[in-house]
Amino acid sequence: MLSLGPFAFAAPWALVALAGLPLLWWLLRVTPPAPKLLRFPAIRLLFGLRQDEQTPARTPLWLILLRMAIVTLVIVGLARPVLNPVDQFAAAGPLVLVVDDGWAAARGWPQRVAAMDALIARAQRAGKPVIVVTTAPPATGGPLTPSKLLTAGAARSLVQALQPKPWPVARDKALAALEDLKFDNPANVMWITDGIEDGNAKDFVNSLTFLGPVTVMDDAPGKGALALPPPGTTAGRLTGRLIRPKAGKAEAFWLRGTDERGRVLLRQRIEFTAGARTARTVLPLPSELRNRLTRLEVEGIASAGTVALLDERWRRRPVGIVTAATDKAQTRPLLSEIFYLDRALGPYAELRKGPARTLLARRLAVLVVADGSILTPPDRQAVEDWMARGGTVLRFAGPRLGQKTDSLTPVALRAGNRALGGAMSWTKPARLAPFTADSPFAGLTVPKDVVVFRQVLAQPTLDLPNRTWARLADGTPLVTAVDKGRGRLILVHTTANTEWSNLAISGLFVEILRRVVSLSQGVSGAHRRALPPVTSLDGFGRFTDPPPAAQPLAADADANAETGAPGKPGAGPARPRVGPTRPPGFYGNDTARVALNLAAGIKQLTPIGDLPAGVKTLAMTAPKETDLKAVLLAFALGLLILDLWIGLILRGLAPEFWPFLRAPGEGDAASARAALAAAMMAFAAAAALAVFAAGPAQAQGKASSVTDAQAMDATFDTRLAYVRTGDSRVDEVSRAGLIGLSQTLRTRTSVEPKAPLSVDLERDELTFFPFLYWPITAAQPLPSRAARDKLASYLRTGGMILFDTRDQGSGGLGMPEGLVPSAPRAVKLRRIVEGLQVPALIPVPRGHILTKAFYLLKTFPGRWTGGQVWVEKEAGHANDGVSSVIIGSNDFAAAWAVDGAGQPLYPVVPGGSRQREMAHRFGVNLVMYALTGNYKSDQVHVPAILERLGQ
Amino acid sequence: MPYPASQSSSRNPHAILRRAEAAAAQLPPLMVAAQRVANTVWHGTHGRRRRGPGDTFWQFRHYQPGDPAYSIDWRQSAKSSSVFIREKEWIAAQSVWLWRDASPSMAYASNRRLTEKVERADLLTLALAALLLQAGEHVALAGEGRPPAAGHGALERMAAVLSREASLPTDAPNTPPMEPLPRYANIVLFSDFLGPMEELAATVGTTTARGVLGHLVQILDPAEESLPFAGRIRFEGMEAEGSTLINRTENVRQDYRNRLQARREQIIALAHHHGWSFTLHHTDRPPQEALLALYGAMTVPRVQW
Repeated sequence: MLSLGPFAFAAPWALVALAGLPLLWWLLRVTPPAPKLLRFPAIRLLFGLRQDEQTPARTPLWLILLRMAIVTLVIVGLARPVLNPVDQFAAAGPLVLVVDDGWAAARGWPQRVAAMDALIARAQRAGKPVIVVTTAPPATGGPLTPSKLLTAGAARSLVQALQPKPWPVARDKALAALEDLKFDNPANVMWITDGIEDGNAKDFVNSLTFLGPVTVMDDAPGKGALALPPPGTTAGRLTGRLIRPKAGKAEAFWLRGTDERGRVLLRQRIEFTAGARTARTVLPLPSELRNRLTRLEVEGIASAGTVALLDERWRRRPVGIVTAATDKAQTRPLLSEIFYLDRALGPYAELRKGPARTLLARRLAVLVVADGSILTPPDRQAVEDWMARGGTVLRFAGPRLGQKTDSLTPVALRAGNRALGGAMSWTKPARLAPFTADSPFAGLTVPKDVVVFRQVLAQPTLDLPNRTWARLADGTPLVTAVDKGRGRLILVHTTANTEWSNLAISGLFVEILRRVVSLSQGVSGAHRRALPPVTSLDGFGRFTDPPPAAQPLAADADANAETGAPGKPGAGPARPRVGPTRPPGFYGNDTARVALNLAAGIKQLTPIGDLPAGVKTLAMTAPKETDLKAVLLAFALGLLILDLWIGLILRGLAPEFWPFLRAPGEGDAASARAALAAAMMAFAAAAALAVFAAGPAQAQGKASSVTDAQAMDATFDTRLAYVRTGDSRVDEVSRAGLIGLSQTLRTRTSVEPKAPLSVDLERDELTFFPFLYWPITAAQPLPSRAARDKLASYLRTGGMILFDTRDQGSGGLGMPEGLVPSAPRAVKLRRIVEGLQVPALIPVPRGHILTKAFYLLKTFPGRWTGGQVWVEKEAGHANDGVSSVIIGSNDFAAAWAVDGAGQPLYPVVPGGSRQREMAHRFGVNLVMYALTGNYKSDQVHVPAILERLGQ
Repeated sequence: MPYPASQSSSRNPHAILRRAEAAAAQLPPLMVAAQRVANTVWHGTHGRRRRGPGDTFWQFRHYQPGDPAYSIDWRQSAKSSSVFIREKEWIAAQSVWLWRDASPSMAYASNRRLTEKVERADLLTLALAALLLQAGEHVALAGEGRPPAAGHGALERMAAVLSREASLPTDAPNTPPMEPLPRYANIVLFSDFLGPMEELAATVGTTTARGVLGHLVQILDPAEESLPFAGRIRFEGMEAEGSTLINRTENVRQDYRNRLQARREQIIALAHHHGWSFTLHHTDRPPQEALLALYGAMTVPRVQW
């Protein structure tokens, strides 16, 4: 490689040929161009004319220069010039490409692939084999192994197939794998790092230097990995945290929270101040919405590290209230403790009532035992077991406890109770003392008017102050608590109704209960069975099926230990480590899911520190090198064509259609004009080429009215068709979707549709197609009068249209109230349908033929799920009772869409192969419905018909 | 400003005829000056201002012995005592032979905007014929072997013959065929006169010897006049004369023009020697110019007797 400033030549020996240029100059100079041939009547007068000058005719200088330029371009082009060349590899050995493909690499993954491509291209030029080493454990769960010595092509395909893994890198294991590598010559080691220290980075680099000179490529500043730990709770509100490895400039991101169906519940700006490595923000969500939040992610960054999955731990806690069989609630509600508890807890927690053991059979966060509640010995045993496993019990005192204390109290109680105030007492009812700073209730203000008339008193013991959470003004404990096992027992020394205190009708009561509930560990700690993985995140934070090596979450792995979960942060046994066997995602089953988050427990991201001397560092955004060979050769070819034209013109062979070239008085001016014309000609040819290249796409868009060939094309085979909306992206999705659906139909049913066609409502004939897919965009033009008539007649005569507003993801049609008038696409749909005389629509009823045309279906998901699908109400006898219009909002085509290799193009939301499968099944049913009508509904009568035939 | 080519590039007889008549319409009918009274030629409409056979009354004269009795005008004789003879004006027609060069060298136009020389020659031939026929002269194409004819039909027939010869045969002669022409006829030759000089001289000499008066019209392309080409050119003849390579055409331009001028003076000298006229015409000029010059040459009696 020969370097000249920003240029370099990959094959500099070809430049030797430039030495031949002077020879070429001389040859061109002495060889005149062929004379022009001219037929001339007065030739007799020319015979024997004396020619004064015998200087040989020579090629004109400008033509020589042109030809020299062509040759020079070819020679320089063959020398393979490269613009912005990257340095030559320093060492003689192969290229060892070490790639961090953990979660932290996902954000800059396209840049990484581009950088790897560029490196491989360089290796290819230098003729070096390539070894690719990844540092994240493979998804198969197998050991890390470096690739063999690969050719550039094989390495390129390997690199293209690499995906970031949704777990951290294991550089120690990669280190072990690298030890087997031995080369005769020192290798060129390129480490494309994710920039995050895992504790082994220094050792890793050191051992890389044994292989050869090391270059480290890192993300550009400000483009490094980000981590989004699951949100925590402060003061009852969710708070999100975002962590970056390096303290840099101020930058802002948007957090987006979505629910199970992928609907956006929340967008919240989160901002790093300059110099900060952690950003925090409160996620303002009403509790109803908060309960639906399942996924929090950073907008615009596709990485498993910036996706936090939320399970029941972040939701309203289930609180059980133990009720006695003989409850006064039915007769005198205002005297019932249950009534007050119910009113206070209801807005914030999910309340369950019943006998203790019944309640504990399900998962609970807090069990509330009022004084009136009677715990039988087995109940008591169950409660104590549950507390030991992490349950929180909140108990209220009362006359019953005052008479007969039991062991289920945090402190020993004196028998009897203490009455304050009253007719026979000289003491006044006691007020509450302010909460001390170490109390869990710290920060709550005590209303002045809350007074306690009676309470049960604790036996004074040494540890009583430690166990006291709230006191009366005279210092006697009002709330005491004690840890029992991994759970907790809390006692309020007065009643939950107004019998002993007016606490129960104060706002403080509500706040105290909320604190207690939020202090509880939630429900997840309660799982006792191993939880199988349900859905997992891939490296880019998309939901996928669990990888093959994924194992269930062990029974005792206690996912509640994930920090960030409300409750007791950081306590508990080791958090299950995210890895190939435990990918981040949801575990459990459909009813109860536990989220395992990648970024849980990440306190901070440490950037890789100082690298050893001799290790070069590069940013991945260095200017890319450009191979100029093709450009130069193409330019030379263009000049060659120009030269050909000039040659033709100089010999008078220019085509007849250029009359002025043959005008009399052709002199030098004329040849200059000819050269200009030739240049124009070459330019026109190039332009024509370009137009030709761009042509097919244009031509395809201009299908005119139906010819016989088109009609035969459309009708000889069954074809699905979609309506062109004018939005090329939507049309492309429709096309890919129908291709995917056609494939499904071919493989599963006897319907064998050929490639789908697109339909322009204004021009194309509709009658050929049994079924039209019509995606609604807000921008598409309304059909003209004629097109509307055509559509109406199409629907009347047995056609079927599936309208898809595709906006389920943003809360469109699928709302219970039906066609929401405000959604822009619904408005558009309404305006389109207005002219079509569509009968009244209803949601697909149970037993509709759509649910059984081929598969038995209950739901009709597309890319989104949950959107209602509407059909004609009672089609009556027209069209044999087949609904001609079907309206949905689930973006069906995107779910069906496949690329050229048959792979799905778009992820389904919330995800999983089952949703896609269901979407395909819906498509199959739909086409079956379109093709066979109510045939399946006739099957209902088959027994009756058979019976009749038998007679 | 070169004269525009015909819209229909093919030598369609009707198109040429139309344009020839249009060109001819701008001149009064051409009466070939009766240079000499010939009593052997076909009848025409020239009043000879002397008595003789004809239809128009000329004079009465007294009967003299020897006059045929049938020539007595009895009505006039009855008015007086003497006997009168009715004499009529002698009427005679001139016959004109036309010839145009159909050799391949005539099929040349240096520029697409110019007409080929042969096309211009056709046009002039027919225009002249139209003028002559209007004047009642008899016209024939030389070499066709038909007697001169009069009337519009003759014009159309000539147009058809000319277009039939459209595919110029490579061996077409440079000079008119030596057919026996009647004495005192006229002949008009349209050609570029670029062929061998000796042939032309022989033709003119022979024809004149028979008492036929002639007119030479040289039709040239402007490029043949000025040799505007430059650079290295291999010139090739159109009648298999061979080819010549000229390295710098611009250098021989003056020599060429001198040669062309010398040849033209040779032709003019030849014409004047025999009492013929000479007209030069370029295809970039309007055909009316040539027609007008020809008109002048044919109406003015150049030979006094």
